[in-house]
Parts: sequence; C-alpha cells; structure tokens
Amino acid sequence: MPKTAQIHTLANGMVLLSEPMDHVQSVAFVFLVPCGSARLPDDACGADNVLLDWLFRGAGERNSRQLIDALDGLGLHRSCSITPHHLVFGSSLEAGNLAAALELHADILLRPRLEDEQFEPSRQLALQELEGLEDEPRQKVMTLVQEQFYPEPLGRPSLGRKPDLQNLTAQRLRDIFRGGFHPSCGLFAIAGRYDFDAVCRQLEILFGNESSPARTSIPRGSSGQPYRHVHHDGAQVHIGLMTPTIPITHPDYYHAMAAVSILSGSMSSRLFTEVREKRGLCYAVGARYHTLQDLAGISCYAGTTPDKAQETLDVILAEFRRLREGISSDELQRAQVGLKSSLIMQSESTASRSGGIASDFHLLGRVRPLEEIKQQLERLTVDSVGRFLREQPMDKFTIVTIGPKEIRIPA
Amino acid sequence: MRFHQRQLANGLTIIGETSDSAQSAAIGFFVKTGSRDETPATSGVSHYLEHMTFKGTERLSALQVNEAFDHTGAKFNAFTSHENTVYYAAVLPEYLAEVTDLWIDLMRPSLRDNDFAMEKQVILEEIAMYKDTPQFDVMDRCRSLYFGNHPCGNSVLGSDESITAMTADQMRQYHRDRYGPNNLTVACCGRLDFDSLCRQIETGCGKWKPVEAGRTLSPAVGNGRRQRLGKSSIQREHICLLSPSVSVQDPRRYAASLLGMIVGDDTGSRFFWSMVDTAIAETALMEFESMDGVGVMDSYIHCGPDNAKVVLELAEKTFADLRQNGVTPQELQTAKNKVLSAVTIKCEIPMGRLVDLGMNWVYLKEYLSIQEEVRNIRAVTLDQVNDLIRDFPLEQFTCFSLGPETYPPLP
Repeated sequence: MPKTAQIHTLANGMVLLSEPMDHVQSVAFVFLVPCGSARLPDDACGADNVLLDWLFRGAGERNSRQLIDALDGLGLHRSCSITPHHLVFGSSLEAGNLAAALELHADILLRPRLEDEQFEPSRQLALQELEGLEDEPRQKVMTLVQEQFYPEPLGRPSLGRKPDLQNLTAQRLRDIFRGGFHPSCGLFAIAGRYDFDAVCRQLEILFGNESSPARTSIPRGSSGQPYRHVHHDGAQVHIGLMTPTIPITHPDYYHAMAAVSILSGSMSSRLFTEVREKRGLCYAVGARYHTLQDLAGISCYAGTTPDKAQETLDVILAEFRRLREGISSDELQRAQVGLKSSLIMQSESTASRSGGIASDFHLLGRVRPLEEIKQQLERLTVDSVGRFLREQPMDKFTIVTIGPKEIRIPA
Repeated sequence: MRFHQRQLANGLTIIGETSDSAQSAAIGFFVKTGSRDETPATSGVSHYLEHMTFKGTERLSALQVNEAFDHTGAKFNAFTSHENTVYYAAVLPEYLAEVTDLWIDLMRPSLRDNDFAMEKQVILEEIAMYKDTPQFDVMDRCRSLYFGNHPCGNSVLGSDESITAMTADQMRQYHRDRYGPNNLTVACCGRLDFDSLCRQIETGCGKWKPVEAGRTLSPAVGNGRRQRLGKSSIQREHICLLSPSVSVQDPRRYAASLLGMIVGDDTGSRFFWSMVDTAIAETALMEFESMDGVGVMDSYIHCGPDNAKVVLELAEKTFADLRQNGVTPQELQTAKNKVLSAVTIKCEIPMGRLVDLGMNWVYLKEYLSIQEEVRNIRAVTLDQVNDLIRDFPLEQFTCFSLGPETYPPLP
C-alpha cells in the first residue's frame, strides 16, 4: 500500500496534497474550488453548471477552439463535477504532459475569458441537460430524493432549476464568478508519477498571487416532504429513497460503512438477495452511502414494473428496519474483505487516489493513510456493528417515485 | 509485463499477462457466444444464460455462489454482447485461486427449473428498464433496422415474448452447444502465478468435451433507411446513425477507431464543434464498433426535438466535408494523443487491461502487448484514414430516431 500523503501549503494558503505512486506512467490531479451548488445565490441554482462549460470557452491567450485543441492535444481526460461545496475539475493524463496541463488550468481557473457571445450556448447546454433528465427517470428520481432529503441548500440539484437557468445572464454569472470562485481557497490534489517539489514550485508561480478571502459557512433551511410521486408514462416505477445516518466525521463511521455493505455491497447482500434473488422483483436495486461534513444519508434505488412496485418498496423498507436486529459474523467478514479489497484496488488508479485524498482532506481536514482505514475495518465486530445499528436505527425515509403508478407509503 | 499462453488438449486456451508490481489480479472466462448466435426462438438466451450461470451448480445454491464470491472480496460480474459472454473478477492475489475455482464450477451450471422461472422475472424487469432508457432503446432499434436479417441485428436482451416463451430445456441445449472448451478462452492479468493457474484450470476443465460451435460470417452494409418512433414517455430526440466500416480482423481498425474519435469524441471533434459547442445538440458522439467479419461507425445524438432536422443536416454536412477534404494532420495527431493516453491509464489496472487482452485473443488468436498496440496506433497515416472515408462513405447511414409523439417523421 502507498505511504502517507504529503501536504504543502502555498504562501496564500492554498493546500496541495500529494500521493506519489510507483509503477504508473500516468498522473491524475483535481482542483476543488469552493463554489459548489450550495454556495450559489438562492435564485441562481444551476449557475455553476453553466460556468463549468463557459470556463472552457477561452482563457488567457487562447480562444475557445485554441483552448480545447491545447487540452485535447495533451491527451488529457477531463472529468468535471459539482458537489454542494465544490466545483471539481479532474484530469488524468500521461505524466510527461503534466506541466503544460497545469499551466492551462491556471488560465481556465484564474483567467477565463467569459465572453458574452459564449455565454448563451453554455446556458442552452445546461438547460438541455436539465431537460434531458426527463428522459432518464433513474437519474431523475435520485436527484429529486437528494433534493428533498437534505436541508436547503445542501440538496440542490447540480443541474439546476429551470426558472433560475432561464433568468441567468452573462453579467450575473460573471458577478458570481468574481465574488465566489477562488481556487486558492480550495484544494489541489495529485496522484501518480511526478516530482512533487516541481509541482509545488509551479503552482506557487501559477496560483500563489491569487488572494484568498475567508471561507464562509452555508446557512441551512429545511428539508422537503417525506413522499412525492411524479407521473411518467414509462415502463417502470423508479423508486428513490434516503434515510439519515452518521457522517464521515463521526467515530462510528466505519460501522455505517459495514452496514451499507451488508445491505447492498455485493451480490450476497441483503437487498440483492431479498428483492432480486428471492422474489425476482427488480433488475436494478442498490444502496449507497453519501456524506457531507456533518450530514449523511444512505440512498437506495430500485426500478420495477408497476404491479411489483408496492411489494418492492415494502421489502426494501423492511430490510432497512431489520438491520437493527443485528448482523451475522459471515456478513461482517464479507463486508470487511469487500471494503478492504475495494480500498486496495482503488490504490492502483491515479484518478481514484487524487479524488480520494482531496475528499478526505475536505471532509476530515486530513488524509487518512490506507493502513489506518484497513485497521479500522479490521477492528469492527459483530457486537460493535450491532450496537451501532440499535443506536442509529434506519427507520425515517424520504421517498420519491417516478412512473405510471403511485404507491402507498406505510406509516 | 510477461505474456504466457497454454492450450489444453480439449481446445481451451489460457492466456496471461503478468506483472509483479500490480496490487490485484483479474481473470475472465470469455465464451464466444452472443445474440448473433441465437435463433428467433432463442432470442435473448445468451444473456439469460449469463444470469442463470450465477444460480448455482450441483454443489452450490444461488445464495452460496454469491456468498462464496463475496467471501473473497472480489469485484465480479459478467456481460453479454452480440458476440461474446464474458465472466470476470478483479481480486486480491491471495484470493485468485478461490475465485478461479468458482468460475470453473459455474461454467457448468445446473440451470434448475425453479431458478429459471425466478430469473425470468428479473430479465423481464431488465427489458422494462431499458425501455425507459431511450439512449439504449434507440441504438437497439437502429441496429435492428441497419442489419435487417443479418444476425448482428439480434437484440441482446430478447423481447418480452421470446423470454416469456423460452424453456429451460432450450437453454440447456444452447449451453451444451456453445460452452465447449474450444469455444472458451480464459484470460488473466496482474499479479499471479500463471503455471499454477493453468494446473488448476486443467484439473477443473480438462475433461470437458469439445463442441462444434461455429459461426457463419457474412457482410452487412445497411440500407440507408430512416425511421422515427414517437413515444409519450419521451421529451427529447434521441438519434442513432449507423454506417458500414471494417471488421475486427481488418488491420484498418486502428484508422477506423481514430476516425471515430476525430468525428465524434465528446470534446474537440467535428461533431463537437458543429453541434455541441453551438448548443444545437447536448450530446453528439461517434464510435467505431468492430465485430466478427463486420464493423460499423455508430453515432448517437441527443437534442431537443425541434433541432432534429438541423442535426441531421449538420451530420450530412460533416460527412460530405470529410469526403471532400479529408481529415487534417492536427486532427489525426490529437486523436492519437487521446487514444494513447486512454490506453496508458486503462492498462495501469489489471481489470482495465483484461477485456482487451481477452478479446484480442478471441478474435485474432494473437497477443498484442501494450507497446505493440501503441505502435500500431502511432503508425496510422493520414492517407489510411482518408482512404477509409472514401471506401466506407459515412453519409450512407441508416438512421433511427426516438422522440416525443407530436413530431413529424424524419426528412
């Protein structure tokens, strides 16, 4: 397993994290800029999705075409995303092109052109993406359930809300960018093959002069209703649900991970066995853990034809509730070995590791060595997980269904 | 990396690419059978059989199979295409032997009647799920339109009718006909001892009797037809274009794959600049898909229904320009850089390498090291790409479009 991550702080406070890896030829890096969906003004939901596109339409000396040509010419694979706290700019590429890629990113993040004539296509694309969600009920149901589960603004849909996107102007978005988009308040993380000293020197030159205003906390409103149905004339009823659990910062975090794994980590897990294998109710059924700094939930998706929808929901809810009755030692062994092998396999991928160390530092203020995670998983016992599940029963649900038929939510 | 190869007396081939620096190992059982090898009466049987394989053997029930895999922490699954059924697992090296034993056992499943009846429900749910996924639905329909009576047009999932009518005896016969050792390749990569793996496979599979599992190859060039279907559950237009290209056996496949990237990569391509940058379409992709004896260029475009007409005009204009003026040296170089960095990143993980390694052997009976793949990609010339455009006119596409009910048929 790789060693502990290194940390370096630039003069202006920007944090750089590093986890070098042997035997790879690639490098992956990620910038987390604290301008995520929850940090936008209330009437500009989706503005960051427009910004993600607009930023790449010319920066520094390069116009839109020159910029994309330069990025593509490096064989760079981009993956950008939006979380409640951050805009995430991820890249993987061959190690030799790293310096040039960082230089281009400094232009994009600090000197984007944000030209008027490029704004409208970016806004139109964001609107289209949002409309496209109507044809993807599986994605839509999870977007809606997250929106209802988390208190405003933490559950905001990253694709935005239609009226806000319709009203957004270039000037408004430019103001949002100038007021809230500060890469040096965020994080940079890198993993793979590179010389970290050289990376630090280069980033000091590229980003060191940007001033970094103090971070502000996000005020919170209330969550949405516990059940909502959206009519859709499709073949299946798509069920999305979430239940609260403890966040990664909680001492019992690894107990929650084990519980989710027992519920849905693999093919012998409870949901797959009870819903699909024993009853043939669904093809797709699964649950996953989702955490913010101080709030977390377990989300679950299932898709099924209308006549089976009620039974599917009933069986799923029963499995969540049954967890408080405890787990078996075989279940715990499978959860432990499954989580540990995921961990080791992720350590082979530069993109997974750069993302992993960035997310750790954001959520915990430090990077957990893989060895520590392994030890924590090994320390779990049937009794300790059982105690956790009694203390934190999973019996409050936020539920959304999309499909031709509404279902009854048990009290 | 070291390459190894062994063939058992009954024709089963084992190939491996080992690396001592890997953290994990990956193994795959590649059965050369898919929907193109089915008859109308057994439409969907390859995929259904892939599900049934996990339902157990003489000594294991379905739940025991899942528990046995999960005991090792393996990331395991299977997929079925028009031409192949592949069972694979990524696993920590110390569990490889255990997982291999399981796969060997499962290649001779019991196919019990009660499991067959239960899994039928799951398959019907999977068919329903894809009906609610227009991107998948439109490709399936376009394929069927393009290939007509050619077996490559057969649906992988089958239909509600064919699955409902299918009997366990039909599946047992199909399994006897297609899962012979001479129609099977085992590929492995990562950290492992090849000789001991071969001994294990010889012990487990050495007595299996070879079969006559042939496949008749015939050409297909499409028919240039255009069809549209309106559905009340759909709000956007989903367009698929298929035109002929080279087969997997054809050395020109490298040029074809680069051409796909030049025309329809998700960034910086011809489609990107004409449709996505301008916000006329949200997605516009083209990919080269090579198969046994045939190949296609496969485009998927997703836009608002009002833009469908202009999207088709733009695609035609792009194809006409390519035919007249060819691709530019810079376009070719950029496409190579993208492909090469993708190869580097993917092959750093044993599971990422496994499928290419296995497929090369299944189709070509040859080993291509990553270095050779890289050389072959680098060696593609401008003339080769332009010759391909001349020999396989992109504008002679067959088109299927799926969108809202209230819009007219395609021009």
